[in-house]
Amino acid sequence: MSSCNSVLRAALFCAVTLGLVAAPITSQALEDKLVVVTSFPKDLTGKFKTEFEKRNPGVKVEILSKKTTAGIKYVQETAANNNSDIFWASAPDAFEVLKGDGLLQKYTPKAQGIPEKVGAYPINDPDGYYSGFAAAGYGIMWNTRYIKAKKLPPAKEWADLAKPIYHGHVGMSAPSRSGTTHLTVETILQGEGWEKGWALWKEIGGNLKTVTERSFGVPDGVNSGEFGYGIVIDFFGLSSMASGFPVEFVYPTVTTLVPANVGIIKNAPHSQAAAAFIEFLLSPEGQKTLLDPKIMRLPVNPATYAMAPAGFPNPFKDKSIGAAVKFDVDLSKKRYNVVNSLFDVMVTYRLDDLQAVTRAIQKAQAAAANRPGDDKVAALVSEAQALVAAVPVTEAQASDPSFAGIFKKKRKKKADVLPKRQAEVEEQWDNFIRKNYAQALAKAEQALLMAR
Amino acid sequence: MTGQLAGVSIDNVNLYFGNNHVLKDVTLEIEPGEFFTFLGPSGCGKTTLLRLIAGFGKAQSGRIRIGTEDVTDLPPWKRNVGMVFQSYALWPHLTVRRNVAFGLEERRLPRPEIRQRVDAALELVGLLELGERRPSQLSGGQQQRVALARTIVVEPQVLLLDEPLSNLDAKLRVQMRQELLELQRKLALTTIFVTHDQEEANTTADRIAVMEAGVIQQVGTPAELYDNPTNRFVASFLGTANFIDGTLSEKKGQTVFRSGSGIEIPLKPGQLHAVKGDGAGEHSVMFRPQSVVIQSAGAARQQQGKVTIKGAVRHREFLGSTIRYAVSVGDTVILVEDSHRRGEAPHNIGADVELNLASEQVILLSG
Amino acid sequence: MTTHWGQRAVALLIATFLLLFLVVPVVQVIFVAFQTPGTGTFTLVNFQDFFNTSLFREAFWNSLYVAAMSVLVATAFAMPLAYFTTRFEFRGAIVVQTLGIIPLIMPPFVGAVAMQLLFGSNGSINLLLDEWFGINIPFMEGLNGVIFVESIHYFPFILINLSASLNNIDRAMEESAQTLGASGLRLFRRIVFPLAMPGYIAGASLVFIKVFDDLGTPLLLNVNNLLAPQAYLRISSIGITDPMGYVISVILVGFSLLAMWVAALALRGKDYSTEQRGGGGLAKRQMRPWEKVLSYGVIAFILLLVLSPHIGLTLLSFGTIWSFSVLPDGYTIDHYQEVFAQSPQFITNTLLYASLAALIDVTIGTAIAYLVLRTKIAGREWLDYAAMAALAVPGVVLGIGYLRTFFGVPLPWSGQPLASWWVMLVIALSVRRLPYALRACTAALQQLSVALEEAAENLGAGKLATVRRIVVPLMVGGIIAGFVTSFATAAVELSATIMLVSRESDAPLAYGLYVFMQTAAGRGPGAALGMIAVLIVGVATYLSHRIIERGQRARGLADEY
Repeated sequence: MSSCNSVLRAALFCAVTLGLVAAPITSQALEDKLVVVTSFPKDLTGKFKTEFEKRNPGVKVEILSKKTTAGIKYVQETAANNNSDIFWASAPDAFEVLKGDGLLQKYTPKAQGIPEKVGAYPINDPDGYYSGFAAAGYGIMWNTRYIKAKKLPPAKEWADLAKPIYHGHVGMSAPSRSGTTHLTVETILQGEGWEKGWALWKEIGGNLKTVTERSFGVPDGVNSGEFGYGIVIDFFGLSSMASGFPVEFVYPTVTTLVPANVGIIKNAPHSQAAAAFIEFLLSPEGQKTLLDPKIMRLPVNPATYAMAPAGFPNPFKDKSIGAAVKFDVDLSKKRYNVVNSLFDVMVTYRLDDLQAVTRAIQKAQAAAANRPGDDKVAALVSEAQALVAAVPVTEAQASDPSFAGIFKKKRKKKADVLPKRQAEVEEQWDNFIRKNYAQALAKAEQALLMAR
Repeated sequence: MTGQLAGVSIDNVNLYFGNNHVLKDVTLEIEPGEFFTFLGPSGCGKTTLLRLIAGFGKAQSGRIRIGTEDVTDLPPWKRNVGMVFQSYALWPHLTVRRNVAFGLEERRLPRPEIRQRVDAALELVGLLELGERRPSQLSGGQQQRVALARTIVVEPQVLLLDEPLSNLDAKLRVQMRQELLELQRKLALTTIFVTHDQEEANTTADRIAVMEAGVIQQVGTPAELYDNPTNRFVASFLGTANFIDGTLSEKKGQTVFRSGSGIEIPLKPGQLHAVKGDGAGEHSVMFRPQSVVIQSAGAARQQQGKVTIKGAVRHREFLGSTIRYAVSVGDTVILVEDSHRRGEAPHNIGADVELNLASEQVILLSG
Repeated sequence: MTTHWGQRAVALLIATFLLLFLVVPVVQVIFVAFQTPGTGTFTLVNFQDFFNTSLFREAFWNSLYVAAMSVLVATAFAMPLAYFTTRFEFRGAIVVQTLGIIPLIMPPFVGAVAMQLLFGSNGSINLLLDEWFGINIPFMEGLNGVIFVESIHYFPFILINLSASLNNIDRAMEESAQTLGASGLRLFRRIVFPLAMPGYIAGASLVFIKVFDDLGTPLLLNVNNLLAPQAYLRISSIGITDPMGYVISVILVGFSLLAMWVAALALRGKDYSTEQRGGGGLAKRQMRPWEKVLSYGVIAFILLLVLSPHIGLTLLSFGTIWSFSVLPDGYTIDHYQEVFAQSPQFITNTLLYASLAALIDVTIGTAIAYLVLRTKIAGREWLDYAAMAALAVPGVVLGIGYLRTFFGVPLPWSGQPLASWWVMLVIALSVRRLPYALRACTAALQQLSVALEEAAENLGAGKLATVRRIVVPLMVGGIIAGFVTSFATAAVELSATIMLVSRESDAPLAYGLYVFMQTAAGRGPGAALGMIAVLIVGVATYLSHRIIERGQRARGLADEY
């Protein structure tokens, strides 16, 4: 393995040095084409494509826009006869999936001045299969017209979104649909702890107006005024503002900055152009391009922030951004699919029930607040809250490989027989959740009756 | 099962399709209880006129009355007329019984009455036992009967039949037209029948209106039309006819018709009503082939009041009961039908013959 | 004997096409449903899991409910439009028929955004209602939202098929009822509508199946307790490969086949063909003034409703910022300029792909309809079922199947993978849209009396000549209807497209829309591109209606007297 590695490195080194030596006639050394599979929007890809082609005349960049999941499928399905060079997307977990399938090529960028971490998250894959080129963190965006019309205050922390006033005004995407949403969910689970974290997510979940299928569905909904607040990745918020929508964006204290990544696909037909592309992304010019008003992503090179517009967040200076939680990548990876599945079973697929019970609890709480000292009501409300908050899986179980393995199809060996099937487990969870929500609803309603 | 007897009167109707003048000044009076036929070649406007009576299409001018009621502006469903379509138009999604019951249901009659009247109508056409079948399971004649039953069951004031027999085979057609006639007599229903078949018209109709190019050429009983056609079209459409063109002149105080080929036919004043003004100019006379007696040349016995014409047999057809000759007289050809009796030798082709024609058999045409 | 041989060859050809481009790719993907997770041995346990899972049972019933309700609502939209335009002398009948098909062209993403902006809980209508009356109507919430959007989206299927059927009814069928006293709605209900049943059932079953299997609308409305989105979410989640997604796909395919079979049963044994075709369809009546006012009023209301997504789209494409307000803040043509400057190839590609796909569809559709209705070749119904099953195959499944089946096959001349050749995209589109064309062709042929063909054969025309000279010309209305439907819907197809596009220069419009609608700044240009799609399809539809109309007038005049 290591010899293989060194050979590869040497080869790459050669390639890169050749490229550098031949700098005045760069295009000669590169292939005439570069195929990039990406989930990034046109505003971003188009800009980089133009800039890269300008610097490397003779290389034609072909951009294949696919949403992250479809992009992964595409790379997986076409692996046998691969003709893509670069996989370029936000979510590190997408790269983890490809890496796990052996579909990425190792590459160590040569670019200077890029620190090891942004916030608490390592910028590059420790195994060297993919590299971060920009950082992004989750935050809250809101529609200023909406909150003015509905007389609501801005929400600045995750916990704010759990307040009764925001009931029915919040939108988010499901972690199973969006890798970055997953990171936000995981960040709170790690920051608050498994039980309290889920309790908070369910309180927020009960206030959700909708769980969108695409991660862009959230900024889209806030931009339209379909709902007032959205849990979004920063560049969605920042670029919506830059596009003129009446919206604002903040990072809550607890957030994780995550690198957006780029990696070379195994057996890339144009590997030299691919390497050149990565180097360009990490070069000062490439980093500066991220500050384009339509792109608005956080550069990973701290030096680039000098050129940023006033008010642009700088995580390398402002340590409050993304530093509150020490993000445990390993833990996240272990229970990745379990967390996604749990969120879907408890929130996405039972949103109506969760909304109803949350509303009932909020009403009961409000009524109870008018009658301080009524222990019975308060007890009923907290029983209801506990029922809603309950999670059918313990933290230890969630990261137990044999249990988590139920949620993956790929087995190492055929003999790895699983204790259960995913559908069976999910049905058990669903029964648990429905029963709890129904009981909680009954208790909350009872409490409300008593309080009146 | 009789509705109240009503006639139909059509008053000066004109109808255009675009620039096409389809019905020209049509005026007709159809008597209550009459079996009336519109006869004419296809495209003459007879179906269009029938459809106007039913309420389909709109005439640009003129009125139509059924009984005493002016129906010109009434839609089809407000006119109590029954129409049998050429294609029968039986609804394939309904059974025979439901087809027949339809009109009664539309009239919101009580169920028992509907049942009883449908039974009666089906019995009348002899299809009582086929009530639960679908139209596609019936033969052509049966479909025809269902269409008829469906129409008469509502007791329309007028029954309209649009070439109802044209989809049947010859034998069935004869049978059906007799049934139709019997039914009409039984119900005493004012009936208008559209056909292009003169035999069908002759055998059924009380009166016939012959139509051509949107114009009613002549109205009359079948015999009247046959014997006294007013124009060449009517004469030739109803049976075979000889036409001779020529001029009128005075001879010994009598009007004489003279053709270019020298045939002279004296005409009595009673035969001259078609003459307008002084009678100058071209005229035609018409006579039927069976009005002519054919004899070998020389054998002729001059008969009183008969015209003798000399000619030669050009063509001969043996028809069984008759033999039809085409005889050349100068440059005209006269058709002759001679009744045939056993053992009689026909005239040979090329033989010189003499034709005798009683002048009262000759009709001077108006056009 | 030779003709028989020819029919067999055609059947075989079509069977091969379907096998290669539908069955094999789909089986490549959904066989997962029959595997034990992990070990890969054959099992039915996943199906057992499906029925044991309350979430899926709920989704199943919800899907049934939504599909049935959508058929009802769609019928309510389609019936008056079809009725008025085919029954009366109606100024602008072609315009109505054309506008009536536009809702089928709901460009992905932008259509839903436009609907939310108009009907959403904070959309224009509700903002106005709130201001005037202090009320808020949840048009777009939950299952109701799905039913609302689906019935607007798919009602053209009923409109097209019903209109074609109405136009094919022998005029005497209606006139005989009129002379017997029936008129107006009663006549329509008792005679005209039952006679148009083949077309209605064709349309209604399409709507049912389509809604039952539809993915786009529930996803864009974020409703996921239906079967199709459940399947999709489980197939396409990052990292998770849950066999349930494939189980649901199998169930969707199975249920769609069942629905089609039921529809076929409903029509069995009923000979709706009319002997004397060529009456030019129903007699068109002049309307009285008050009738005119009423019917124009009804039509205007329905059109306004069903075209609202496109009205919203228009506003969106010209609007600057539209957020929590009744109308956009301002108007501009910048979005169109951006689209034309950046991506004209999206438009030309779409025209090319969609028309090729639609051409393939009507060719195969006519052939299958003929084989099924006019020949006795064994297993001919299976061609029909197989082709219709495409309706139930989620586009993602087909897309993945194509990649799996054809990516390893290199093109002989360039060595490029077959799956990344643009022609495969055309084939995928044609397979996806074949059911629409097939149903339209089948309904057209069903109404055509066999006698007309027998007459031609009797006059010495061979089978092929009969089809070419008699059957196809008489079916032309249905064929064009099928072409338009296939073309229109292929022009905005997204799910298969997004899997198969391997080069931006080959990409069609839907892909362009997707790319635009990933960014806040792309909403305007996306809407502009969507409008262009709608216009392209609208013009194509209008032209084909003109062709049908002209054909009918030519035939109709000859029959007037």
